[in-house]
Amino acid sequence: MAFFLQNAWLIPLLPLLASAIITLTPIRRQAMASAWLATGLMMVATVLALGLLAAVAGGWALHHGELVQLAAHHGEHGAFAFPEPNVVQRLVWAPTGDTALQMGIYIDGAAAAMLAMVTITSTCIHLFSIGYMAAHPRQSRFFSFIALFTAAMLLMSMADNLLLFFMAWEIMGLCSYLLIGFLYERPSAARAAVKAFITTRIGDVLLLLGIVYLYAQAGGISFGNEEGGIFYPPLLERLASETGALGLSHAAGIALLIFGGTVGKSAQFPLHVWLPDAMEGPTPVSALIHAATMVAAGVFLVARTFPIFAADPTSLGVVAFIGAFTALFAATIALAQFDIKRILAYSTLSQLGFMVAALGVGGWVAAMFHLITHAFFKALLFLGSGSIIHAMEQQPSIQRLHHHDEYAAQQTAQDIRNMGGLRTRLPWTFWTYTAGYLALAGIVPFAGFWSKDEILLDAFKHNLAVYVTLSAAAFLTAVYMTRQWWLVFFGEYRGAHPVVFQNPDAPAGHAGHGHDDHHHDDHHHDHGEHWHEDPRMIAALVVLASFAVTAGAFNLPFDGPGGHWLASLWGQEAAKLDPLVAGLSLLIALAGIALGWYGYRNAFATATDTDPLAARAPGLFAVLNAKYRIDELYAATIGRLTASLATAWSLLDRSVIDRLVDGMGRFTFGLGKVNFIIDDTLLNDGPDGLASGTQGTGRQARRLQTGKAQDYLIYVFSGLLALAVFWLYVIGR
Amino acid sequence: MNLPEYLLPAADGVPWLTLLVLSPLVGIALIGLSWLLKLDERTIKTGVLAWTGVPLLLAGLIWARFDPNAVASGQGVVQLVERVPWIQAIRVDYFLGVDGLSLPLVLLTAVMTPVAVIASWGVSERVRAHLALLLLLEAAMLGYFVALDFFFFFIFWEFSLVPAFFLIQNWGREQRRYAAFKFFVYTMAGSLGMLLLFQLIYLSVRQAGYPTFDLIALGRLGQGLPVAGVEGNLRDILFAYLEQLGVTNALGRYPLLYSSIAMWAIFIAFAIKLAVWPFHTWLPDAYAEGPTAASILLSAVMSKMGAYGMLRLLLPFTPDAAQYFAPALAALAVVGVVAGAFGALNQVNGDIKRLIGYTSINHMGYVMLAIAGAAAAGEAGVAARASAINGALVQMVAHGLSTGALFYLAGALYERTGRWELSGLGGLRASAPTFAGVMGIALFANLGLPGLAGFVGEFFIFRGAWATLPFFTALAVIGLVVTALALLLMFQRIFLGPATGNPRAIADLRPQEFWTMAPILLLSLLIGVYPAPLMNLGNAAAGQLVAIFTRVLG
Repeated sequence: MAFFLQNAWLIPLLPLLASAIITLTPIRRQAMASAWLATGLMMVATVLALGLLAAVAGGWALHHGELVQLAAHHGEHGAFAFPEPNVVQRLVWAPTGDTALQMGIYIDGAAAAMLAMVTITSTCIHLFSIGYMAAHPRQSRFFSFIALFTAAMLLMSMADNLLLFFMAWEIMGLCSYLLIGFLYERPSAARAAVKAFITTRIGDVLLLLGIVYLYAQAGGISFGNEEGGIFYPPLLERLASETGALGLSHAAGIALLIFGGTVGKSAQFPLHVWLPDAMEGPTPVSALIHAATMVAAGVFLVARTFPIFAADPTSLGVVAFIGAFTALFAATIALAQFDIKRILAYSTLSQLGFMVAALGVGGWVAAMFHLITHAFFKALLFLGSGSIIHAMEQQPSIQRLHHHDEYAAQQTAQDIRNMGGLRTRLPWTFWTYTAGYLALAGIVPFAGFWSKDEILLDAFKHNLAVYVTLSAAAFLTAVYMTRQWWLVFFGEYRGAHPVVFQNPDAPAGHAGHGHDDHHHDDHHHDHGEHWHEDPRMIAALVVLASFAVTAGAFNLPFDGPGGHWLASLWGQEAAKLDPLVAGLSLLIALAGIALGWYGYRNAFATATDTDPLAARAPGLFAVLNAKYRIDELYAATIGRLTASLATAWSLLDRSVIDRLVDGMGRFTFGLGKVNFIIDDTLLNDGPDGLASGTQGTGRQARRLQTGKAQDYLIYVFSGLLALAVFWLYVIGR
Repeated sequence: MNLPEYLLPAADGVPWLTLLVLSPLVGIALIGLSWLLKLDERTIKTGVLAWTGVPLLLAGLIWARFDPNAVASGQGVVQLVERVPWIQAIRVDYFLGVDGLSLPLVLLTAVMTPVAVIASWGVSERVRAHLALLLLLEAAMLGYFVALDFFFFFIFWEFSLVPAFFLIQNWGREQRRYAAFKFFVYTMAGSLGMLLLFQLIYLSVRQAGYPTFDLIALGRLGQGLPVAGVEGNLRDILFAYLEQLGVTNALGRYPLLYSSIAMWAIFIAFAIKLAVWPFHTWLPDAYAEGPTAASILLSAVMSKMGAYGMLRLLLPFTPDAAQYFAPALAALAVVGVVAGAFGALNQVNGDIKRLIGYTSINHMGYVMLAIAGAAAAGEAGVAARASAINGALVQMVAHGLSTGALFYLAGALYERTGRWELSGLGGLRASAPTFAGVMGIALFANLGLPGLAGFVGEFFIFRGAWATLPFFTALAVIGLVVTALALLLMFQRIFLGPATGNPRAIADLRPQEFWTMAPILLLSLLIGVYPAPLMNLGNAAAGQLVAIFTRVLG
C-alpha cells in the first residue's frame, strides 16, 4: 500500500516520459515501437492508479512518510466538506515576497477515482489507436500527443492547488489543439483547432481571474481543509459574507469565474461551439479524448472547488441553470444530425450538462458518479463509431471518393444515412455499441441508468425545474440514440449509393465530377464489400463495454455489498433509491426508445431519403440541423467585432499617433532650446559642467546621426581607451 | 572606500562588472584586429560568436557570486559594487553594482547576444561593422543594467540608441530610414524630460548638503530610508528647493504636485522604451524594418531597459506619485495590452515581423500593469506586490527568450521564402516539420502556455495586479485571448492547410538553426516548469522595494 501512495507521482510521469521519448529519440521513426511504448507505459500507469485506488479505498494515508489508517468519514448533513486527503506532497515552486507558493500532489478519494478512470479509458484508447492509426504516416506523433494529453489529465486530477490544476488544464488545451489539427493539410482541421483553442481560452482566462481573485482573498490557492487551504471553513464563511464586485459575495464571484473555465472546457452553452468542430481530429480517437476525457476536466474543476460554490448558493443557481439548459439544448441538436461523431459530440454536451446541473443542485456524488460511468460508455461509443468509420472507409464507394478528395471520403463515411445493416457485418462492434447505447439511454442495469438516476433524484429533491428539464433531455437522449443505433445497424446497407459530402475547401473542378463517378460506380458495383474488424480495436471495445455494463455497481443505491462504494470512498452522504424517481426515469427512457424506433423503423430505404422529422417539420429540422445557427451568429457579431477592432486600432496608430510623431521631431528640438534657456537663465549658478556635457552629447549624437559607422567606431575606441586607462590607474593598482 | 551595509563589493576584489561591460568592447577591438589581419568573414563571424561567450561566462560567474537573499536596511543588497570618484566637481562616481532587479536582465542580455550574432550569419554587406555594432549594443545594454550613477546610467541609456540606429538604418528593409529616424526621435525626445529632472534633483540634494547622482542613495531618499549624511526624504528636499526658488508660490504648495511632475518626466522616458501606449508606434516600424539581429536585441533586451528604469528610478524616487497615478498607469497599460493584441491581429495577412512587434507591445503592457499594480494603493500586502514585480521580471526574461526566438525564426523563414507577407504562404509544415515544431514552441511560449516561461510571468503579474487593480486586470485578459488568436492564425497561415502557397516547400531547419533555438526554448521550458531559481533572484529586492506601497502615501 505504501508503495502506491508513495509513488503516485509516477502516474502522470510515465505517459509524459513516453511522449518525451517518442518526440526526442529516433524511436519516432518506428511507428509500432512508438505505439507500443506509449501503450505499455500507459498500462503500467494503470496498474499504479488501480493500486492507489485500492490503497485509498482501504483508508490508508501517508503522514510524514508514515503509513496510517484514516478514520472513516461519512459525510454529514449541512455544509459540504472533503474528507482528509490520503497523500499530500509539496515543494516550494516560486517565492512570493515574504511567502512562497508550493506545488505538489493531493490525493483523496476523488483524485484516486479520476486517476483510475482516466488510466483505464486512456489505455483502451491507446490500444484502439494502434489498430486505427496503423496506416497513418504520422502515427508516432499521434501517440506522443495522446500520451502527453493523458499525462496532463492525470496531473490535473492529482494537483494540490489551483495553479497546477490550471497549468495541466492548459496543456490539455494545447494537446487538443494539436490533435484536432492533426490532419493539418485540411483547412477545416486547422480552423477547428484554432477555434477550439480560442473558445476554450475565453473560459480559461475567466478561470485564471477566478484563481487570482481567490489568491488575493485567501492568500493561497492550495487545496486543504486546514488553515492556509482554500477549503478552510472560516475562510469560506468570510468569503461568503463579504461583498465584492457587482453585489456578489467574494465566494460567488470567485465561483462564477471558476465556472467560466468549466463552461469553456466542458463546452457548456454559450461556449459549446468548439466541441462539434473538434470532430475534425483523426476519427475517432481524438474525438474520444475530447469527449470522454478532457471535457470531464471542466466538471472535475467544479467538483474540486465545490466548497467555494457551496459557500454561496447564488453561484450554484447559475451552474444548475447552465447545465440543465445545455443538457436539453444539445439533445435537441443531436436529433437532427447525420454525422455519427457529431451526434455523439452533442450527446456529450448534453451529458456534461447533466453533470453540471447535478453539481448545481448540490449532487456532488451524483455528478462525479456520472462523470465516471459516462467516461466509460462514451469512450465505448466513440471507439465503436471509429470501428464503424474505419470499416466504412474500406468500402468501394468510399474508396473511389478517397482518390481525389480524402476529406470528402471521410465525411461521407461518417454519415449515418450511408450506413445501415451493419449489425451482421460488424458483429463485435454491434454488440459492444449496443451496450454503450443502452447505458447512455439509461436502461437498467447498464451503468448510465444508475448515475443518471442519481442526478435526477437530486434534481427532484432540490429543484423541480431542473428535474423537468433534465427529464426532457433524458427522453430526447433515448430518441436520438435509438435513431442512430437503428440507422447504423439495422435495415439494408445503403452505402453503395452514398450521399456524397460536398467539400467546400476542395479545389475547383472536383465538385462537378460527382455525376461521372456515379456512372463509374455501376461498373464496379459488385466488386464486393469487404468488412473487417481489427482485433486490437475490438479488445479495447470489449474492455470498455464490460465497464459500460457494470460500472453502475460502483455506487448502487442499496446498502449491502457494493452499495454506496463511491460515496463512501469520497466520504460523502449516500443516496437511497427512490422507486418513484427511478421508475419514472426508466419509463422516460423506454418511451424515448419506443418513439425513436417507431419514427425511424422504416426510414431511409435509400441514403438520399428525407429524414422523417424533416418530412413532418421541415422548418424545425432545418434549425436543429443548423445547430440554431449559433456559429453564424457568433461570426456575425463577435467575429466581425474583433475584425473591426483590429482595423480600428491600426487606423488609430497610423492616422492619429503617427501624425503626432512627425510633430514630435520638431518638439524635441524645441525642448532642447528650452533646456538651454533654463540652464542659462534660471540655473546658471548650477552645474555648468553637466549642462555643457549634455549639449556636447547632443551635438555628438547629432553628428553621429548624419555620420558614418567609421566615425562612430573611433568614438568607441577612445571611450574604450579611457576606460582601460582608468582601470589600470584606479582599480587595478 | 567606506560603503554602507547595503552596498557590497566583490569578496575577491575583482571588478567583475567592469570586465563584463568591457568584454564586448574588447570584442570590437578584436574585430578591428581581424580587419588588419584580413581574415575572411566566416572566421570573423565564428570568432565573434565565440567571443560572445565571454560576457555570457562573466554573467554566469557574476550570478554565482550573487547572494539573492541578502537584505540590508530596507533594500536588497547591491552586490559586486565598484565605486570610485569620477568627476569631483559634480560628484559623479563610477558606480556599478547588481541587485535582484538587474541581474536577470544582465543574464538575458548575455544569452540573447549570441543568438543575434547567429542571426547575422546571412549578412553579407559590411559584416565587420554589423558585428561590431551588435557588440557595442550589448556593451551599452550591460552597462545600463549595472550602472548606478545617473551620469553613467544616462550615458549608457542614450548610447544604446546609436548602434541600434545604425543597425536599422544600414541593414534594414525598404522603410529603414524612416523607422530608424522615428526610433531615434521618439527615444531622444522622451529622455529630455528625465535629463532636466535630474539636473533639478541634483541641485535640490546639493542644497540639502548631499550633492549626488547616486541612484541607490536617491532611491533610498525617495523611499524615506536612511542615508548617511542627509536628513529627510526626496520629496521634501525637492519641495524645499523649489520653495527657495519661488516656484511654489506660482504653482502652489503641494509636495505631491512636484513629485508627480518628476514621476511623469521619468515615466515618459521609460514608457517610450517600453512601448507603453500611446508611445508605441516606433516599435512596429523599428522591429519590422531592422535586420533580424537588431529585431532580436531590440525586442528581447532593449525594450526591457524601460521597465528596468521604472523599477530602478520611478518606484523608489517618487513612490507617492506612483501610488497616486497607478490607476492612470494601469489604464495606459491595459490600452497597450489591447492595442498590441488587436494590432497583431490586424497583421495576420500582413507582415510577420510587424505581427510579432505588436505582440511585444501587448506583452510589455503586462509588465507596465505589474509595475502599476505593485504601486497602487490598496490593502494588498507585500506578497501580492512582490508577486507583481517578480512576475514582471519573469515576463521580461520570458518575453526576451520567446520573442527573440520568433524573430530569429521569422528571419529564417524569410531566407527560405523571400517574403515577409503572410498571405500567400501555406502548408509548409509538410516540407519543414521541425521548423514548424520549433516555431510552434516559440509561439506557445510567447502566448503564455503553462509549462513555458511566459505563463509564469503572466500569472504572477495577474496575481499581483488583481490585488490592487482588479478592474484593469480583468480587462487585460482580453489581450491573452486576442494575442493567442493572432499567433495561432499566423502559424496557420504559414504551416497549415494544403501546400498550395508560394513557395510550396521550404528547407527544414538546419542543425545550426536548430541548435540556436534549442537552448533558448529549453531555458523557457525550465523557467516555466520550475521558476524558483529565477524568481529567487529578484524576490528579496522586490519585496523590499514594494514595502513602502503597503502604506498610504502622499
